[in-house]
Order: sequence, then C-alpha cells, then structure tokens
Amino acid sequence: MKQVKKPVFFIVFILIAVFTYFALAGFSTWYGDIETVYVRGVKDIRWGIDIRGGVDVTFTPSEDAVDVTNDDLDAARSIIETRMVEKNITDYEIYVDQNSNRIICRFPWQSDDDSFDPEQAVKELGETALLTFRKGYSGSLTTGQTYEDLEVVLTGTDVARASAVYSTESDGSHEWAVSLELNDSGKEAFKNATQEAYGTGERISIWMDDIEISAPTVNAVIYDGQASISGSFESADDAKALADKINGGSLPFKLVTDSFSTISPTLGTGARDAMAIAGLIAFVLICIMVIVMYKLPGVMAAISLAGQVAGTFAAVTGFFAFNDSFTMTIPGIAGIILAVGMGVDANVITNERIKEELAAGKTIDGALYIGFKRAFSAIFDGNITMLIIAVILMGAFGTPDSWCSILLTPIFTWFGVSTAGSIYAFGYTLAVGVVLNFLFGILTTRLMTMSISRFKVFRNPALYGGKKKTEGGAANGK
Amino acid sequence: MENNKYDFLKNKKIFFIIPIAIAVITIITTLIIGVPVDIEFKGGTMLTYSYTGTIDVNAVKSTVEGMNLGTVGVSTGSAFGSDLETVQVSFASDEGLTAEVQVQVTETLRRQFSDNDLELVNSQDVKPSAGFSFFLKCFVAVIFSFILLIIYIGLRFKNIGGWSAGAFALVALANDVFMVFATFVFMRLPIDANFMAVILTILGYSINNTIVLYDRVRENRKLYGKKLTIDELVNGSINQSLTRSIKTTITTAVAVLSMCVVSLICGVESIVSFVFPMFVGLIAGCYSSIFIAGPAWTVWKNSHPEKPKKA
Repeated sequence: MKQVKKPVFFIVFILIAVFTYFALAGFSTWYGDIETVYVRGVKDIRWGIDIRGGVDVTFTPSEDAVDVTNDDLDAARSIIETRMVEKNITDYEIYVDQNSNRIICRFPWQSDDDSFDPEQAVKELGETALLTFRKGYSGSLTTGQTYEDLEVVLTGTDVARASAVYSTESDGSHEWAVSLELNDSGKEAFKNATQEAYGTGERISIWMDDIEISAPTVNAVIYDGQASISGSFESADDAKALADKINGGSLPFKLVTDSFSTISPTLGTGARDAMAIAGLIAFVLICIMVIVMYKLPGVMAAISLAGQVAGTFAAVTGFFAFNDSFTMTIPGIAGIILAVGMGVDANVITNERIKEELAAGKTIDGALYIGFKRAFSAIFDGNITMLIIAVILMGAFGTPDSWCSILLTPIFTWFGVSTAGSIYAFGYTLAVGVVLNFLFGILTTRLMTMSISRFKVFRNPALYGGKKKTEGGAANGK
Repeated sequence: MENNKYDFLKNKKIFFIIPIAIAVITIITTLIIGVPVDIEFKGGTMLTYSYTGTIDVNAVKSTVEGMNLGTVGVSTGSAFGSDLETVQVSFASDEGLTAEVQVQVTETLRRQFSDNDLELVNSQDVKPSAGFSFFLKCFVAVIFSFILLIIYIGLRFKNIGGWSAGAFALVALANDVFMVFATFVFMRLPIDANFMAVILTILGYSINNTIVLYDRVRENRKLYGKKLTIDELVNGSINQSLTRSIKTTITTAVAVLSMCVVSLICGVESIVSFVFPMFVGLIAGCYSSIFIAGPAWTVWKNSHPEKPKKA
C-alpha cells in the first residue's frame, strides 16, 4: 500500500484553512473609496429577494391577447427592462418562458428608498408602453419644453415590425442595423417627416413613454415604409435590443400579473440571520458528534466538513470575481446545512469500517487502508440519489434558462415556470454539497488521517475507535 | 450470526400497525377537515402589514370588506419572537387582485389606521390558473423523481434481492412520503412548494438506508449461504447496518433540528414549515428502513419460498 507522508497532513490542513478563509472573508483591495474584489467572500454573496426584500412578479399577456409570438414576449421583456433601468433598478433578473407565455421578473427592494412602493412599481412595469416617433430629439428641446412638445410622427401601432439585420452599406462595409417596416397607416406620415428633415441634419427621435431610446439622423426620404436605422450598433445584441424596444411599443397586448409577491427587507434579513445562527449551531454540534464518535479521524472529518462548507460558499459566490455569482436564498442556506448533516455519512461509513477492522485485529495502517478503500463505492451509492433529486429540484424550480431546466424541458414543457425561485438555490447548494462531499469526505479526510497516523503520538488504536494499544496486533495486519 | 443485539422481527406486527394507523388517521382527517393549500397553488391574495400599538382585527376586516373584494380573512401574527407584530389580510378572489387594487387596499388601510403605522412587509398574489400549473409542475417533478428512483432501485436491486426487495423499498419510501404529508395535515401547514421540496429530499435521502440494509443482506447471504433462515439473515443484517443508519440519520436530523429550533425561537415561520416536516421525514425514513423494509420482506419471502436456483 502507498504510504502517505507526514507533511501531507499539514499541507492539506493549511490548504483547507486558507481556502476556507478566503471563501468566507474574500479578498479585496481598496483604492480610496473604490473596492476591487478579487475573491468573493460571504459579504459579496448576491442575496435573493426573499432575503434582501423585493418583488417577484410574473407577467402574462391579458386574456384578450391572441397569437402571442416569442418576438412579442421578447419585446415585452425589453419594455420591462427599459422601465426598470429608468427606475434605477439595475440589479434585476428577468426571464421569458416561451412555453407558457410568461415573463418572470425579480428585483430587490431599493434599499436607499424608504418610500419604495412595490405595488406601484409593478403596476407601472406592466402598463403598456406608448412608443412614439417624434420630430427633433431631446437635444433640440429648449428650456421648459418636454418631450411632449416634439411633434409625434408615428406611434407604435404604425410600425409593422422592427428587426435586427446585418446590412451592406453604400461603401461596401457591413454593419448591424435595425430595419423598420411600417404599416400603411404610417407610410405617408413618415414620408412627409423624412422629406422635411432630410438634408437639414434634423433628427427623428424614438421614445418609449418619456424615455428617448434612439435619435437617428435622417439620411434618406422614406417613401415605401421600409426604413433602417444604422450607424450606432456595435453588435447584433445592440441592434436587437432596439428592435425589441420598437416592437414592444407596438405590443398588441397588455401585460397582467399572474403572480406577484413582495417581501420587506426586515423580514428577509431577519430570516437570514436566524439561518446563519442555525447553521453555526448545526456545524458545531455535528463536529462535536463526529469527534466524540470517531476521535482522531473525527477531527479530520470536522476539518474536511469546514472545507465542504467553504467550497459550497465558493460555488455560490463564484469565488473569483470574474465568475458569475449565484443568487442565494433562505432555502439555499438550508441546503448547505442539510448537506453538512448528510456529509457525515461518508465519515460514518469509513470509520465504522475502520473500527470493525481494528476489532478484527488489523493494524492501524491496515484498518485505515481498507476503511478508506471500501468507502468510495458506498459513499457514491449513498450520494447518487441525492444528486438525482437535487438536479430535479433545480429543474422544477429553476429559471427557464438554467441548464437543469433546459435538460428537463421535455418533462416540464407543458407547465408554467416556477413562482418559487427560492427553492432553486436549495437544489443548487444541495447538489454542490453532495459533490464536494466526494472531494472532502473522501480525499482530504483520507490524506489527513493517513498522514497523521504516521506520527508516533497518534499510533494508539484507541484514537481510531479500536481497543487499547496492542503491540501484537501487527502480526495480524496486512 | 453474532452481535444480534435486537430482534426486529419479533414485534413486526406492531411495527407495521403504527405507520398504517397513522396513515389511516391522516386519511380520515384529510377527508373530514381537508388539507390547507397555500395560495401559491390555489391562487388568491395575501397582504401582510406590520403595525405598532394595538389593532382591532374586526375593524380591519370590515374596512376591507367595505371595498367589495369578495371574502376577506384577517388574522394577526408576529415575527421574530413578537418583535414585529403583523396583521394578515387574505382574499379568496378568483382572479387575484391586480397591483392597482392592492395599492388601493394599502392606502385605505393606512388612512383608516393611521395611528398603527402600517407597513406592507409581505404580499403574495397568485392567479388560480398560475397556481394550478405550478402545482402540476411540482407534482410532475415528484412523479418523475419516483420513476427515476424506481429505475435506480431496479438496477440496484437486480443483485441484492430481486424485484420483491425493490418493491418493499418502495413501500418504505411511500411510508416516508406519507409521514411528511401527515405532518402537514396535522400541523395545518398549507401545502406549498416547500412541501414538494421536502418530499423530493426525503425520497432521495431515505432510499439509501434501505439500500444499505439490502446490501448487507446480499453480503451475508454470500457469506452464510443457506445456513441461515431468511429471518436470521435479515435480522442480523438489520443489526449490522443499524449503527450507520442511526448515526447518519442523527447527524442529518441534528442539522435540520438546529434550523427548526432557531427559526421557531426567532419566529421565522417560512423555515419552520420547511424543516420540521423534513425532520419528521428523516425519522420516518430511518424507521421504515429498519422496521418496515426488512421485516416486511421476510414475511413475503417466507410465504413465497425461493424456487430452486436457475443458474
């Protein structure tokens, strides 16, 4: 059997300690008031709206809407996005579920805003937007004038469709543009307006309610209702964003709320703090239990459990600042705690075996070797069903664009999206906890235990759950 | 076999009767008083406000009823160990309340009870159709998990006792799921997404204890062959796997119980309804793998003796 050298314990221990420190505390530098985060710690966790308070709302086209296409939904999403940005809500999540024609939107309570009124906010988000094409643009307004003083050329209903196109310019270069197709109702008006503006450097601006979304200069007179806006798009996404907004203005349906919930920050942070205390208590109790049950290997198991928890935090925050961060919710914290409790199973399997082997008269080395060797398949077996379930949880409660949901689309395709986004995090932390349990419960515990057993002071079988020190035991060992 | 400290087969009738009795009582209770269903699934609206001073529940009720929004229920509660007094207004409207109407309700209440400093802390509004499709989705998730587990059990049990053992593993699982359901029924916790998440977790977790047991049975059968009767074989195996089953369940239960106790003390109800049923499920899972999965299988095996070995 391969021997694990003495220093291995210290190397593994220090690695876990350093990793745990950074996963919890993070690492960042300050330059004046500007913080640069290199490693995200607990304070950088992006909390879900069930913790920091906020709004979770599902919009659906009102019942009189017929033939809602995916483009319509994208357009509607883009309206909501524009409105949120306008309200200074930048940290929102928005998903379109094309199967059930729903748009799910989550955004946090504005912490600096005492008068934040979630119902009012939702009411405004769901209102139909009024898209207008106006003569002139925001820059041509004189003091005291508002956008309403700009003459309306077209409204959203005059636009048949807008789409992003990759067009060839007159000089032969290619670029992204938005092509506009007008209805008969808009052709004449647009022709007149472009005729008037062409050559004067005048612009025709596009507004959604009171927000200017684009203000192109007129480069040609549009006779046939086929126009294109070009010159300012850096990518396909840019062009599509404007096309979506224009389509949104001509949205034929009103959005109504399908489900709508709000929670105040007081309630959420209180619940989170309670869970943090619970997690700490659970962790300490479990460590005491494994140490009492398994003595020296129990201490190693406790160190590994700390690594498992830190690993889960790292998977939530993304650890390095360039990774995406996961949104953490109350059930997500419950998942971490639950996974710690379940993770002990790996140690129970291994150490019961070690005890048995010691009782059968094996040496410490032999018992440890067999105990850890046999453990893997049993631990794998014990965790595989939890992993299956965690993936299903993520699929059932996840957002439509999460990979678990996509994986399970064939099964859930007829059903709506989840109104309970918070359980998704439970599936996630549970899955991560289970996977990390393989790494920490097996690998690091094993390395540390086998390495520390090389030290003379730790060569008493009693430390491993065996009977008192027996010199003759070696004879039976392999 | 040595180390048979306990005889798990002697009182097996009692072991079977206890869960069956609980199941029967649960079913009767469900039929008579029904199961509360959360608005997440059935649709409706619930607005929760925090308030200061004292508030007259009936006055709140009549104020909201005056707005003609259908049946109104009003109750008071508290969060964080009564640090935060709350009053809940619930509506059983078929269409849900639009954000506009909710604004009106809040404004009216604030005006009427200006001394109480009402603040909206939580609101939930679900259309019945959305609620139902969400329920279906959760239901499909549970059924799908069941199917996957049956496939898994089928693969696993091909070697460790055949389809009959697999069937009893499922019986044990069904027991665990039912105990979680019973907890919701008797504690009058509304069936919600938490319920579904707990059911799924328990399904994934409790099958393992049973697999460990049947694995031992297979190992011992190889070791002892026909020298032992089915009863001796199974009882010995239960005794051997007892330590792991109990220790593993205890550590998991400690984790869950810590959450349960802390959230009870702090008055965070949303967590209690998640972790307490999970605690019950864990205990039921441990019970069913020790007292049901093994003993019930011996009853079956004894009444259906194995045919001579094929190969």
